[in-house]
Amino acid sequence: MNEIRSAFRRNLLDENQVLRQILGICSILAVTNLLVNSLVMGLGLMFVLSLSSLTISALRSYIPHRVRMIIQIFIIAAYVIFVDIFIKAFSPDISRALGPYVGLIITNCIIMGRAEAYAQKNPPLLSLIDGFFAGLGYTAVLICIALIRELFGFGTVFGFDVNVLNLETWTIMVMPPAAFFIIGVMIWAASNVISRRQENRS
Amino acid sequence: MKREYLYTILFTFAVTAGFTAVLAAANSAFLPIIQRNEELAERRAVLFAFDIPFESDSEVEEVFAETIGTEMVANTEVFVHQDAGEVIAYAVPFVGAGLWGTIRGFLAVSADLTEIVGIEFTEQNETPGLGSRIDERWYKEQYRGVPLDDQGAVLIDDTGASRVDAITGATSTSRAVVGIVEQESRKIVNMLGAVVQ
Repeated sequence: MNEIRSAFRRNLLDENQVLRQILGICSILAVTNLLVNSLVMGLGLMFVLSLSSLTISALRSYIPHRVRMIIQIFIIAAYVIFVDIFIKAFSPDISRALGPYVGLIITNCIIMGRAEAYAQKNPPLLSLIDGFFAGLGYTAVLICIALIRELFGFGTVFGFDVNVLNLETWTIMVMPPAAFFIIGVMIWAASNVISRRQENRS
Repeated sequence: MKREYLYTILFTFAVTAGFTAVLAAANSAFLPIIQRNEELAERRAVLFAFDIPFESDSEVEEVFAETIGTEMVANTEVFVHQDAGEVIAYAVPFVGAGLWGTIRGFLAVSADLTEIVGIEFTEQNETPGLGSRIDERWYKEQYRGVPLDDQGAVLIDDTGASRVDAITGATSTSRAVVGIVEQESRKIVNMLGAVVQ
């Protein structure tokens, strides 16, 4: 129970993959202009990250050290292809909307990062939990940014029109640079909060 | 040392074989569903291009079986919309270059080749939220009723204004689509001109 709580705290704030480790930025810039796409991307990543961490951890004492990265990438790729097939079969519209981004989960640095930093040295169940919460931390940031961008860029939330005052929408919010500005502010805020807390403690 | 190499090779082979087998099984298990989805998406696209309304997937199948036929013209499979034995419109698949990737879809023209009946895209990789808005209904509806002459679509009206509005923030994609429509409509008019007369 304690381990679950510490994995939760660690991955959602103190060591958030995006805000503290600055990983997975590329996909954040690409998919966050619509909430639906961000949610599917986040869920896909959580699924792949949890199961690849579990698998890599279960095989960790058998994987030859020399080729471990190739094997890790291979396991990750297998899960990503599975997600891609699954979305194509059961949600063709979202598959169309996400286009090549699902396949690009393979190159998301967070998955390799967790495999190398955690799953390699920890038992399977803990790795599964760690992978799940690391993915949740990523998804949380993704959703926050997508909410801001979709609200100001399109005046909608999950596709529902909430722009009742008919305010002008900002084209910049739809473009990738907007995610860059928002994520910069979020990283600054997160590091401020954490450093202040450390000061208080000492 | 040698044993270590052998183990590495064997382990890599075993893992690769295992995961590939699982993926291959998943792929062939889901393939019929995926193919059906694709076929349905194509049929929906053709119906949209023909401006035939439909509600559900089963209605798509029904309407498609009743009113749509196919014909081979100049090595291209052309969809024909018929009502009581009379041809109303043709839908021709097209391929063109968008800003980021290939744009595929169907362009439907009236049987007498005087106007565009509709356009629908089946594949595009334009910027999500910007260029990909060509998939929105209001954008595609603009092409309905655009007149055709023997040079293809007439996208500029008599006052010199464009009949089709571009998408804000997606100038390159808008231009690419207009270019595709001009080029493809000319091709279609030439291709079907021989069949119709």
